[in-house]
Amino acid sequence: MGKILIVDDSSTVRDEVGGFLKKNGLDVITAVDGKDGLNKLKANPGITLVVSDVNMPNMDGLTMVEKIRSELGNNTVNVIMLTTESSPSMKERGKAAGVKGWIVKPFKGESVLATFKKLTA
Amino acid sequence: MSDESQLVCKVLVIDTSPEYFDQIKQFCDQNGLIGLRVLSPNIMAILSSNVDLGAILLAEDYYDSLDDVMVLAQQINIARPELPIVLRRTLPSHFDSQPEQLRKLFCATYTIDDMTPLRKVIDEYIFSIVYPNALVRGISEISISTLASQFQHLTISTETPYIVRDRIIFGELFSLIQLESSWCRGYMMLQTEEGAILDVLRTDDDLNVGDGSATFRTVNSILGEVTNVIWGAFKNRFIANDDLGIRSTSQVPIVINHQHKYISFGSENPQLCFKYTLSDERNSHFISIYQWFVFNLYWSPDDFKEIQTSVDDFIDLGELELF
Repeated sequence: MGKILIVDDSSTVRDEVGGFLKKNGLDVITAVDGKDGLNKLKANPGITLVVSDVNMPNMDGLTMVEKIRSELGNNTVNVIMLTTESSPSMKERGKAAGVKGWIVKPFKGESVLATFKKLTA
Repeated sequence: MSDESQLVCKVLVIDTSPEYFDQIKQFCDQNGLIGLRVLSPNIMAILSSNVDLGAILLAEDYYDSLDDVMVLAQQINIARPELPIVLRRTLPSHFDSQPEQLRKLFCATYTIDDMTPLRKVIDEYIFSIVYPNALVRGISEISISTLASQFQHLTISTETPYIVRDRIIFGELFSLIQLESSWCRGYMMLQTEEGAILDVLRTDDDLNVGDGSATFRTVNSILGEVTNVIWGAFKNRFIANDDLGIRSTSQVPIVINHQHKYISFGSENPQLCFKYTLSDERNSHFISIYQWFVFNLYWSPDDFKEIQTSVDDFIDLGELELF
């Protein structure tokens, strides 16, 4: 099973989401912003799913996804955005960058666990 | 207007006349005011406490000497210059013989037989800004939902939303986030006490820090995330997706003085406030969170709109939307 990279500037979200996924047997790595996320993804080839916030300092989540595809040339890793944003234009930008799914916070682990497991299988 | 969204405002009543108090109370009840009668002789201590106020109602005969009343008014004005002071005059009144400098301390005067000037003060100073019911009700709903999601094992309650003019900071910890649309520009502020949240975190295993390792950084992060989620929900509900704001770059400085527990957004506008109480009755822990909306840069309630599609076709929070 692949690893999940959680990218969020809030330690509360990283703890909450990461804690829940670990408790359910998933292997989790965390990053504090888009820049850190890119570095962690580069350093951990076993990551198969990225769950990322949009609004973050240094590099936002959508820019990070665009760079995953363009700079890292990684078109296989699955990306799901976990954010308070829900505007269609932002979702469109995500879709264009190859984002697989969108979750509007707050995080409800039980309702997405099966999909996360499938995406990391 | 539903009871939930009926705005109120607290006013400090510095008046010892029992025969007039009922009339003042009745006036307050009829005009959305909560009259807090001063029983302690130490008025300045009350003013420096965390009571959110909209105005001061002072009686000319509060002391035997009018000079003493004027000294008190000066002290109030120095301590809380943002609060309008209204004087209840007696008959006969000696107020007109006071120097202009002292008379200027009061935004209006009234007598118990003619409270019309007081009514005018309420319209002019306290409820001068219209906050649409849908906005007040919606803020309360999204905030309670966010708090309930973050603190799943606590009971959340809220008081009637209210208006304040004062600038006193509650607690040690607050967050600020900008709100911008074609109908508003300003901030949302959350204020709370670090210790109260730490008490809850250190006894709540479900918040992942039940091992006692929670620090002020944990508290900062939780408050930041609550702010972020409320901000997102506010945008989803009240700011249309194609609304890019009024594209104005004007800003005013925000002044914070921790020593005096004071914050100013540079505007005299009355601010919209909510208070939420989170209770862990098992461990007798309580968290108070004050939420302020300060539309100091732009406010146009005529252009306010609740995004109907977002309300009818509610965003599925926490649900995964696969592309």
